[in-house]
Amino acid sequence: MSVNIIKKERNAIINPLKTCQPLGAMYAVTGIRRAVPLVHGSQGCSTFVRYSLSRHFREPSEIAVTSLHEDAAVFGGRRNLVEGLQNVAIRLKPDLIGVITTCSSEIIGDDIIGFIRSAKDELKQKIGEAETEKIKIVPISTPSFVETHLKGYDNAIKALADHVAEPSEPNGKINIIPGMVNPGDVREIKHILRLMDVDGIILTDISDPFDSPLRPSTAEYKPYYPKGGTNVEEIVDSANSSGTISLTKYAGSGAVSLEKKYKVPAELGPIPIGVQNTDQFLRNLKKLTGNDVTDEILDERGLLIDSMADFASRYLHGRTVAIYGDPEITSGMARFVGELGMEPKLVLTGSNSQDFVKDVEKVAAETGAEIDTMVGQDLRAMEVYLKDNPVDLMIGNSDARLMAKEYGIPLVRVGFPVYDRVGYHRRPIVGYKGGIHLIDLITNTVLEKYYEHEHWKLQQ
Amino acid sequence: MPYKLFDVSKDISERKEHTLVKHCQDPEDCLPKCNIKTVPGSMTERGCAFAGAKGVITGAIKDVAHVVHSPIGCTMYGYGSKRYPTTTEMPDGSTFPVKDFNIKYIIGTDLQESDVVFGGMKKLRQAVRETNKEFPFVTAIYLYATCTTGLIGDDMDAVAKEMQEELGKPVIAFNAPGFAGPSQSKGHHVGNHTLFDNLVGTTEPPAITPYDINLIGEYNIDGDLWLLKEYFNEIGINVLSTFTGDCSHNEIGWMHRAKLSVVRCQRSSTYIADLIEEKYGIPYIKTDFFSTEYCAKNLIAVAKFFGLEDKAKRVIAKRMAKVRSELEFYKEKLKGKKVFIFSGGPKSYHLSVPLENELGMETTGVSSMFEHEDGYEKMKSRVKEGGLVIDDPNTMELEELVEDYDIDLILGGVKEKYLVHKLGVPSLLIHSYENGPYIGFEGFLNLAKDMYSAIYNPVWNFVEFQETEDPDIKEEVTT
Repeated sequence: MSVNIIKKERNAIINPLKTCQPLGAMYAVTGIRRAVPLVHGSQGCSTFVRYSLSRHFREPSEIAVTSLHEDAAVFGGRRNLVEGLQNVAIRLKPDLIGVITTCSSEIIGDDIIGFIRSAKDELKQKIGEAETEKIKIVPISTPSFVETHLKGYDNAIKALADHVAEPSEPNGKINIIPGMVNPGDVREIKHILRLMDVDGIILTDISDPFDSPLRPSTAEYKPYYPKGGTNVEEIVDSANSSGTISLTKYAGSGAVSLEKKYKVPAELGPIPIGVQNTDQFLRNLKKLTGNDVTDEILDERGLLIDSMADFASRYLHGRTVAIYGDPEITSGMARFVGELGMEPKLVLTGSNSQDFVKDVEKVAAETGAEIDTMVGQDLRAMEVYLKDNPVDLMIGNSDARLMAKEYGIPLVRVGFPVYDRVGYHRRPIVGYKGGIHLIDLITNTVLEKYYEHEHWKLQQ
Repeated sequence: MPYKLFDVSKDISERKEHTLVKHCQDPEDCLPKCNIKTVPGSMTERGCAFAGAKGVITGAIKDVAHVVHSPIGCTMYGYGSKRYPTTTEMPDGSTFPVKDFNIKYIIGTDLQESDVVFGGMKKLRQAVRETNKEFPFVTAIYLYATCTTGLIGDDMDAVAKEMQEELGKPVIAFNAPGFAGPSQSKGHHVGNHTLFDNLVGTTEPPAITPYDINLIGEYNIDGDLWLLKEYFNEIGINVLSTFTGDCSHNEIGWMHRAKLSVVRCQRSSTYIADLIEEKYGIPYIKTDFFSTEYCAKNLIAVAKFFGLEDKAKRVIAKRMAKVRSELEFYKEKLKGKKVFIFSGGPKSYHLSVPLENELGMETTGVSSMFEHEDGYEKMKSRVKEGGLVIDDPNTMELEELVEDYDIDLILGGVKEKYLVHKLGVPSLLIHSYENGPYIGFEGFLNLAKDMYSAIYNPVWNFVEFQETEDPDIKEEVTT
């Protein structure tokens, strides 16, 4: 039972397991009702992100950009941002605009707060004070050369806590910061809140915006705004909640900020993947609300436990797994895999985080497994590792699909992005139901790969 | 007035001159304004110069390693994102060790705050050395500037030169930072010039024939190149170099040995055909290979140059025989359907007429993210009276268009597809295709099939709940 940290052997990144901050912020702003992310950068900064989000969710991803060019590089991006803000405000009439910086606008050193003020002054001349004040404009600093997309998500949520949340009367609600998860996960969290009789404010709720019904009769057009998302009023009200649970400690700054400024108690992580992490989430909910864990939800737990009892020892026990991706999801998956009696052989994340190592150490202690761990590494490192250390199963995003194919290792798709299969954004991996989905997925993958050729072994 | 301002753009009136409504009596030089900066915050669909250089021009080359000098984002976004497969076959008969190497690997310098302050050249040098160690079999290493490195002023060319000497293999810098130029088109331009300046004339082909062509601007999207190459081979024309689909680095070096350059994507790569003509006197022709008529016409044009018209006619007849009857079926089904084409550039004029003539559809309009005047001239000449020609349309204009023009199908990109679906209208991917290839005879049939299955997808018959069952039995897709 130990963790062996494999050091990075290169400086260059080959096949990254992370992207830059602005994506995380654009994702977060998309989870707000009638909100527009406005990226202050080059057109690639919006286009590439829209492409990345759309191919994963198979949904529109409407993001505005200030289109910085050479002149802005020399003279600053003031005109671009001031004009861009006004054009978005006047044409799209949003409830909120998240102004998201990039490497270029950060390097140029644009005074975002000052530019927003100028834009508002000009807007007031055009559409009047009242209309201007209706639109919340939130500066979100996301320098691309610092940390990863998760930090950008974290910065966006923190900006909402700092610029939008306002204290008034206690509301008895619980703020949930889901982290960068899928619509299915947010829906599962909301389902658990309902079963626990807890009113939640989801910061932010991407479940409908990134999995939206095709119903022309009810949709909002010109501009198209997807259904759902967290209302701005709810974000304002988040200062009055009984507590905040961030499902990821890697993006807990918003929760910490609400605690410091408005005394809203914060709980950070773990992501409720698997039995014990979901149990912990329920205990956190109980602690913050005083509500009991209901029978209904314990029955759901029982369904997961039943599946584990039925499948795990026969099909999964001792099978080795390589898990890669965002730190919270990866460490959560590692713990769940351990709960299934499987052996997390390699656990790998692209971000540089000591917390991640601690999480993996905990899994090693619980399972007794020897776990190789890579922090701040990339998919090439995994490829090289797997050449000498084959595993039975890989768990992670679509970016390792060619490697999986070449090595003949089945890949269970989890995380972001998944673009070579459908439906993964819709099905949860969190909560007991997420656990049931995962155990079915993992078990069926194992059956297909390791049992199918001796088909009689598949008979009950 | 030939220009139209969409209602949704009334507050950005500069958009008006970007939308042309064709009236045949208007002067010929009446074109949409283009290739200028986008209105900030207008919800453009445009990308950046880095995307144009790496994503379009160089990313399709099979045997080079790409090092993106950037904070992590640009590297991630340059990773495996495009559908341009490569084989392991090298022109000298040898085998490159990794299939689809161009899709499989991307390298980046992952710039941090301290690099932004102190410069990233040291890191770039190190990344190049590491790349060579990791992938010693690559023929060359390409380096890409990005917004960050452009702004901090890293001298990419100096690093490339130094590393080339150190490693003894070509190292080439592409200076197309994201903010350069109004769209990805700037990156195409930089890509062409950089490859021409550094490569063309530096290598010799293993063999030459009297029938050698450069196939320029063919990136092998979803296998387009492989299909097109079959036609040329059967006619007896040898594709000596492809720029750049499934090509090798050295192939570009011997483009000066071809007898003729055939330009496929006229927006992204006429530059290099011009440069080669100017320096080496090799003529070029601009071609259309989308649809059966254009493909036939242009195969004959290329064949005529070599005196191979009769063989070309036989090849065309053979291929037409394969697709004719099926195309007739789809024409019957697609007749009268209104289509709008929102391509990156040239497909907007490659497809507008064939969809009408060969499939009986009605091309309501065409648009492009990054075309220049010459492209819009062609677009305008190939739409009918009242047809729209739009430069850099934004999301809301797209919505208004769908509503006002009763569009049956939009050919667009991933960013547009899912929005268009939400409007209750089918859409299919024309940049990287649904079930391609889309080029040539068989490709046009694939496109027709995909358009048919998009428009006749049964789902469009029951988009909304009906209180009483609809007595009309709608036609369903038959395969």
